[in-house]
Formats: sequence, structure tokens, C-alpha cells
Amino acid sequence: MDDRWRFSRRQFLKTMAATGAITASELLWWEEPFLWPKKAHAATTVRFQFSVPEPLRISLVESLVDRFNKSQSDVEVKVEFVPQAQARQKLITAITAKNPPDCCQIWDNWVGEFDGMNVVEDLTARIKDWKHYKDTVPVAWQTVTVKEKILSFPWAVTNDAIFIRVDRAKEYGLKIPGPDWTWDDFVTLAKGYAKPEKNQYGFGMRGAGTWAVLYATEFLYGNGTQVLKDGKVAINSPEAVSAFEWYIDLIRKHKVTPPSVATDGYRQIVEGFGRGVTSMYLHNSGSVEEQKKFVGEPNFATLPLPLGPAKKRATFYFSETLTMFKDAKNKEGAWKFFTWLMDDEPHYHYCKTLGLLPTRQALADQPPYTGPHYSGFVKSFPFSVVSPYLAYAGWGGKLDSEGVPLFQQAMVGKISSKECLDKFAEVLTKNMM
Amino acid sequence: MNQQATIAVPAPRALLSRGMRETLANYAYLLPVAICLGGTVLFPILKAMHMSLYHNVLIRPQDYRFIGLGNYVRMVEDPTFWLTLKNSFIWVFFSVSLQFLFGFAAALLLNAPFKGRAFFRTINLLPWIIPGVVVALVWEYLYQPNYGPINDILRRVGLMREPVAWLSNVDLAMPAVIFTNIWRGIPFFAIMILAGLQAIPDDIYEAATVDGASVTQRFWHVTLPMLRPIIVVATATRIIWTFNYADLIFVMTSGGPANATQITSTYTLLQAYTDLDFGYAATLSVILLVIMLVFTALYLKLTKGVESVAG
Repeated sequence: MDDRWRFSRRQFLKTMAATGAITASELLWWEEPFLWPKKAHAATTVRFQFSVPEPLRISLVESLVDRFNKSQSDVEVKVEFVPQAQARQKLITAITAKNPPDCCQIWDNWVGEFDGMNVVEDLTARIKDWKHYKDTVPVAWQTVTVKEKILSFPWAVTNDAIFIRVDRAKEYGLKIPGPDWTWDDFVTLAKGYAKPEKNQYGFGMRGAGTWAVLYATEFLYGNGTQVLKDGKVAINSPEAVSAFEWYIDLIRKHKVTPPSVATDGYRQIVEGFGRGVTSMYLHNSGSVEEQKKFVGEPNFATLPLPLGPAKKRATFYFSETLTMFKDAKNKEGAWKFFTWLMDDEPHYHYCKTLGLLPTRQALADQPPYTGPHYSGFVKSFPFSVVSPYLAYAGWGGKLDSEGVPLFQQAMVGKISSKECLDKFAEVLTKNMM
Repeated sequence: MNQQATIAVPAPRALLSRGMRETLANYAYLLPVAICLGGTVLFPILKAMHMSLYHNVLIRPQDYRFIGLGNYVRMVEDPTFWLTLKNSFIWVFFSVSLQFLFGFAAALLLNAPFKGRAFFRTINLLPWIIPGVVVALVWEYLYQPNYGPINDILRRVGLMREPVAWLSNVDLAMPAVIFTNIWRGIPFFAIMILAGLQAIPDDIYEAATVDGASVTQRFWHVTLPMLRPIIVVATATRIIWTFNYADLIFVMTSGGPANATQITSTYTLLQAYTDLDFGYAATLSVILLVIMLVFTALYLKLTKGVESVAG
């Protein structure tokens, strides 16, 4: 026999010891096997679609899915990343073709649309028995409740607040207002910040994308506006028109916004602030971590939206949801995956990395959510409401395709604030379905 | 010797004549191509026509129903459609005519002998080689009013005091996207016309010179007529492409601000992928197809097709 194949007693004992050590380490890591996941032959697959607005999320979700897969012997999640711009359309075509993924991550404003198509699994019974049900912020449940059915897990929640440059305020001798500031304070501050000759502007208003309409509406609420009143569209009420005139005046009269305002989307308002072009902007907590890198932690803070003439204000909650489809082939696997993601550590890790607010109260009471960069959002909780545009599934796409061009026309002065809101009200009324 | 007479038995008559068999065989050879074309071109067109007759909004599958010409009536009454059609004609006219003029000039320059000609011919192709989406992103950055290089340069040389929002101003957005499209399309015309110029025999120019024709006369009476077939094909193709071309505008402005750059093809995309109204989007596609068919027929008739003047 070839010497190479001889196995001495010493070698045999060493091999046995090594095998024992590896087995022991595997047992220590029993929740997440150290070397490889031990999948049963019949491990069932869960198809999970994740829409990606930014590359950071890919590695984050991949690591979470990988950890989940390693912790399970009978379920394996396969994640399908789809660019956010195509996610809604891809899901809807997959649903129409009767081949949706088992579950997905989507925004709450799509949940209503999908429920309108009668394709979302009702999770009410399961969720009410879930161990963290009572620890979840009630308003988070509201964002995913349609016709008294809980349709999704609110994975992360956020509202909007004003990002503000603290260092520049000091440089220009401007006083940073308190959380109960007013529209007048806002205009004064924006004017103080505006130095067009230095390519600096007071407020990075959003003019493109659905949120151009939503942010404007949040300001409108400061004057007592409501989108729906007694079941009728009221977005063109006198108080709404007056508030919208004030909002448009920021561009046309006070000139505190950058010249590109009418086409500035998410990326432009975030980068505008990050590059020092603007000194204030309205956004959700999702850009806090980014701004820490762009402008530096000590140089900015967040404030709640200012109080309007009616001494009111509102910010819209929205949540990133985990949603399951009625046609899911592996509902049990998807449920297992959801509850794992909502557990303390994965949930906190996901939200903290992305700067979103956890929906579990116990986690929201921990840093960094208690610090200055999130204070604007946390202090906005008492007047945060679910977006009124979630009321009708038919409004979903129309905000973008008809609402945004109308608001842009008002921004560039092609139509008056009243004409804009009248036409917008017509669009909403026509699509109340 | 016993002899048996054999009677010639006529061969059974073929079911089809020889000519017919040959014709059928020829058609059989064409069949694979016909199936491929039918599946990839004809079927989608017919399917779009079929879809245009239905109320087909993906988020409301319960409302799916036949509505006849309902979508067409809606289109006629839709002011945004007419605006996008007007924008489409502006977009196509200025894009193609200026691409053609500058492309022609570039071709004449690149046809002349000079040192480094091969290098410049290669460089000339760059805008055409770069993918449309990348071109759009690059130009969006160049036009950016707050930190884009165009505004920065214009301000430094004193031609501008305040930054201009090229893509956010309703009056400037369309010219700005057209300018980008011209930049991108010049190489196409340059290379097509250059190929045509190189195919014109030198002896025609020599004969014209001997006859006393000036440079201008040689251009009008030799170069242009000889290039006519190429010009007709290149412009017709380019017009159709530009009419249907949505990438550039979609990335640079998404049709905004306030629909200032919304052309019919981007509006069709918006209807299909934002409103998920596939019935209406199909109607817009069918109308785009009809417009292009009518245009091509008229254009070829007016320009007398692609026949060479020498023919």
C-alpha cells in the first residue's frame, strides 16, 4: 500500500479530536451554524422581493437573509433585488401573471393598491398572536391596516422633519428656533440662509416625484387643510389655497429655493444639503446617516415641521412593510422569516443602518433615536398621521402622473395655486376608487 | 419468340404543377423568417391593438372589460396627449434637422485629407457609442444649476450672474434636452454621409471640374444628388427613432417640469408603468405607430424614395 494512504493511530486520534472540536463549535452556534447551514432535503424556499432605492440596502439585506438561512433547517429564503423604480410595476405584473413572490418588502402606500387587487394575505389573526404585537407602536399598525385588516408587518417607520444646518446658522448669526417654531420663523431663517451669490439657498424644496405632492401637503396641514373632509376631497379649500400660496412664495417671492426646484427629486434635495447648496430641507429620517457623512454630525440637527397660521401641523407616517401574497406557495416559511426579521436584533440592526425608526417601542427608546439628529422625528410623533393619500388605491399612481406635473406648473408660475389645487382636487375626485 | 408489347403507362399526374411546387418550396424557405418576424413584430402590434380596445388597468383587474374605442375617445379629449404630440414634433424636428446639418458638416470635414483623420473619425463616434442612459446622466450633471460645470464655466467667464436651471425652467428644458440629443446624433449622420461621400467616384468631380463647375456647383449638382438615397434613408430612420426615443428625456427630466419635455413616447411609458393603465398606453402606442407609418409613406413619396438619381 502506498505510504500516503497509511493512517497511524496518532493521526486517527488527531482527526477524531478535530471532528469533536468542530462539532462542539457547531453546537455552540446552534442558532447560526458556524460552518454551513444544515438544510434538510425538503427545505422549502421562500421567494422574497426586495426593492432597492440605494445600494447600501443590498448588502444589508443579503447579510440578514444569510443569517436567517443559517439559523433555519427547513426554510431557505431567496431574495430577489429589484430597483425601486421598477418594483411596483414588476410586482403588479407578476401578480397579474399569477406568479408573485411569496412575500416582499413594499411601502405602505402600495399595500392599499394590492389589497384593491385582492391579492394580499390577511395577517390579522397571526399578528395578534405574535409575541411583540403589543410592543409595536399603534400608529405603525395603522399604516398597514386596510378595512380593519392588518395586511403587513410594519418593518420600519418614518415621518418627516426639517434638516437644518447648525454650523451655518452660527456663521450667519441666525438663531436656531425651538421645536415649536412657526412659518414666520421658517421664512426668516430661510431668507437668512439664502446667499445666491454664494450658490447657497435657504430651503431645498422637492419638485419631482410623488413626495413633491406629499411634502407640500404636509405644509398645507399647518393651515388646517385636510385632503378628505366628510368623504369629499377638500384639498382646494380656501385655507389650502392660502397655505399653498405661502409655500409657492418660497420659490417665487422669497426666492429661498434653488433654481432647479421644479425638477429636484429625492437625490437632489439630499445632495443639495450635503454639498452645502441648501441649508434646510424636509425629508424622512432615512437621510440622517448619509448627512452625518456629508456635513458632519455636529453641523446639523432636525426640527419638527413649523406650526402654521392655524397653529396646526402634521407629518405623514409611512412604513416599509413586509407583505405576504395570497398566492404565496410557502406562507409558513414567509411568516417565519417575517417574525425573525422583527425580532430585537435584526429589526434594530436594519433600522439603525438605514436611519429608519424601529416600530417596536422597546427599540425606539434606545440610542441613536434619543440623540439630536433624530429628535425632529421623535418630537413629531404626537402630530404624525397616516398619509391621507392612502385612502384610495386609485390615487397611488395619479399623484405621480397627474399631481406632480400640476404642482410643477404652480412652482414655475404657469398656473396659480388655486388653479393647481382645483385641478388636483378634480384628479383625486375622479379616482376615488 | 414470344414478344409482349409493353404499354407505356403515364406517370401519375402530380398534384401540383412544377411551377407551383417551386413557388411553395420558396415560401417554405421563407417560413422560419416569417414565423420569427410574425412572433416578434406582427404579434406585439396586433396585441397592442387588441389591448387598446380594453379597459386594462393592472391595479384594477376586476374592471377589465371591452370598451371598444373608449380609449381612443379619451385620447382625443386628453389635453396632455395633444401637448405631448406637439412636444414630440418639436423634439423630432429640431433634433433631426440639426443633427443632419452638423453631421453633414462633420462628414465633409472628415472626408477631407488631413493629418490625424483616422483619430478624429474614431473620436467622432464616441457620443454615438455611449449608451443613451449614460449620456442622459452625464448631461444631467453638466446642466445641474448648483454644481454643474456648464453654469460654473459660464459664471467664471462672466457670461452669467445667477445660475440657470437648464432642466427645471419650462422654456429652457426642451432646448436643453434637444441639444443633448443633437450632440448624441451627429455621429450617426456623419458616418452615414461619410460612407456616401466615399462612394462617389472621383471622375465625376473631375468631369465637373473640367466643365468649369465651381466648388459650390459641384456640391449642389454632384455631391447632394449622389447622396440623396443615403440622406433619405438616414433621415427617415432617424426621425422614426427620435419619435420613439424616450430614454434621454425619461432620465434627464422625466417629462418635466410641468410636462414641458413630455413627448408622446415618455407619456406612453408614464401611463403604462406609473398608472399601470395598459389599455390607454396601448392606444398611445397604436397612434404612434399610425403617425409613423403615415409619415414614412409621405416622406418616401415626397423624396421619391431611395432610388439613385443615376438610375
